[in-house]
Formats: sequence, structure tokens, C-alpha cells
Amino acid sequence: MITLSQRLKKQQDQAVSNNRISVRDRLLARELQELSQILPSNCSVNHENVNDLSSFILSIKPNEGFWQGGCFKFGVDVTEDYNMVPPIVKCLTRLWHPNISENGEVCLSLLRQHSVDGLGWSPTRRLNDVLWGLLALFTDLLNFDDPLNIEAADMYRTSKEDFQRKVNEYVIKYAID
Amino acid sequence: MSEDPENVEKMEGDSAKPDRMFTLKKWNAVAMWSWDVECDTCAICRVQVMDACLRCQAESKRDFYGKQDCVVVWGECNHSFHYCCMSLWVKQNNRCPLCQQEWSIQRMGK
Ligand SMILES: [Zn+2]
Ligand SMILES: [Zn+2]
Ligand SMILES: [Zn+2]
Repeated sequence: MITLSQRLKKQQDQAVSNNRISVRDRLLARELQELSQILPSNCSVNHENVNDLSSFILSIKPNEGFWQGGCFKFGVDVTEDYNMVPPIVKCLTRLWHPNISENGEVCLSLLRQHSVDGLGWSPTRRLNDVLWGLLALFTDLLNFDDPLNIEAADMYRTSKEDFQRKVNEYVIKYAID
Repeated sequence: MSEDPENVEKMEGDSAKPDRMFTLKKWNAVAMWSWDVECDTCAICRVQVMDACLRCQAESKRDFYGKQDCVVVWGECNHSFHYCCMSLWVKQNNRCPLCQQEWSIQRMGK
């Protein structure tokens, strides 16, 4: 008797989980298509496993600013609970940036699950917004006042030349395509 | 107003270049999408609010309970969503995802 109810429970859990994957995958199929339509020429999307839409690498080659000349790869993982939760984004290329740690943590408000200011994640956002956000980290959203890499921000404040030199050093070492 | 003709001229000039055409197209697409959402698409699952939500479609609930199971909910802010979609979101954040106002239900139905 215990076995039967356990088995039923397991089936039920399986069904719930399958359903969620299905909703996530339906959203993903559409959003990845939208993404491919607007993808600028300096960006690319690569799925390592073509059967798994939920995990891909987004490469960005900034064509202006401090990081110009580098190719920066971001791992994007879209979990089962998408789009109630944001995708998990990690920078896979080591770089010198005030808003990206050397371990790859990315500080971007729209990737925050909980926020009271309305700038965090919301299910109305989509992968296109994530792309624009990451692109903007190399230009408009670049922020030295609330840094994740404090040393990088301090360096910029002391000497922009030193900052640019260190950025270049990292680009040559880690971010040449 | 005096600056407008200048802008128009600039845009027309630029649009002659093929790479500019692409940019213009992109903006059109974005504008159309947001209009669509304001009207009658659930901004959470991107299915029309009059149809069953993506989640119910995936479960094919319709086969068992009929379509009335998946209702529409309007907030005080006049934004509408599927009740299924919104009830999942308010568990995390009790704000309308479109206008960020505190979410309170004005009415429910079809
Ligand atoms: Zn919906
Ligand atoms: Zn529903
Ligand atoms: Zn609203």
C-alpha cells in the first residue's frame, strides 16, 4: 500500500516537472528565434547540445569602449522555472570589469530574482532583454559606483590609463577569439 | 519642432544604406510587440488572454475540465493576465510585471 501511494506520488511529481519543462521549452523556442532575428553581428549564440535549448553560450565582441577587441563568452542556463525566474548567467571569459567578478559573477539588475525597485527580473522580460543588458555592460550600463570588482573600480578612479592597460592585458591573455 | 525636419532628413539619408535598414526594421518589430502586449496578450506566457495559458495548454487541461478553468484576471492598474500566470508570479513579487504597481485584483472572468 505504501509502495502504491509512493509510486503515484512519484508519477505526479514527474508529471509536474515534465509540464514545467514543457512550458519553459515552449517559451525558449520562441525567444531563441526572436533572439536570432535581432542578434547583432558582433554577437553569437551557440548551443553545445542541439537537443538542449536551455543551455547556451552567448559570445559578445564589443565594438567600442574599453573591451573592444575582446571576445567574451557568457554561459546562459535557463532553469525549469523560467520565466518566473531569470536565466543564470556566468561570464566564462576572465576579464577586468567593475561589474563582472574575476570568477564570472555578473552584476546586472535584470538578472536579479528579487528586487523592490522594478529593475529586477520580471516574467515580461525575455532573452532579448538579457542580450541588451549584457551588451550594455560594456557601454551604457558600465557602472563604477556600485562595483562587484572593487579593485577594478578603484583603479579606474585613480588612473583611466592604468585601467585600460589592465583591461588590455586580460583581453590579450584570455579573450582573443 | 524646428529640429524635426533635420532629423527626418538624417534618417532618410541613413536608411539608404542597407545596414541602416536593418536597424529600422528592428525598431518596428519592438514597437509592434509592445502594442500587442498592451492589447490582449498575457505578457507572462505570451498567449492571448482569451485562450488557455501556456501552462494549461501544456497540461492539456482543456481535455479534462474545459476552457473556463483558465480565467483572466484584471488588476487595479487595468493590466490583464491569465490568473494561472499571475498567481505564480505574485508568490515572488506582489507587483504588476508591466507597470510595477502593487498588484490588487480588480476583477476576474473571461
Ligand atoms: Zn499567461
Ligand atoms: Zn491557465
Ligand atoms: Zn499593471
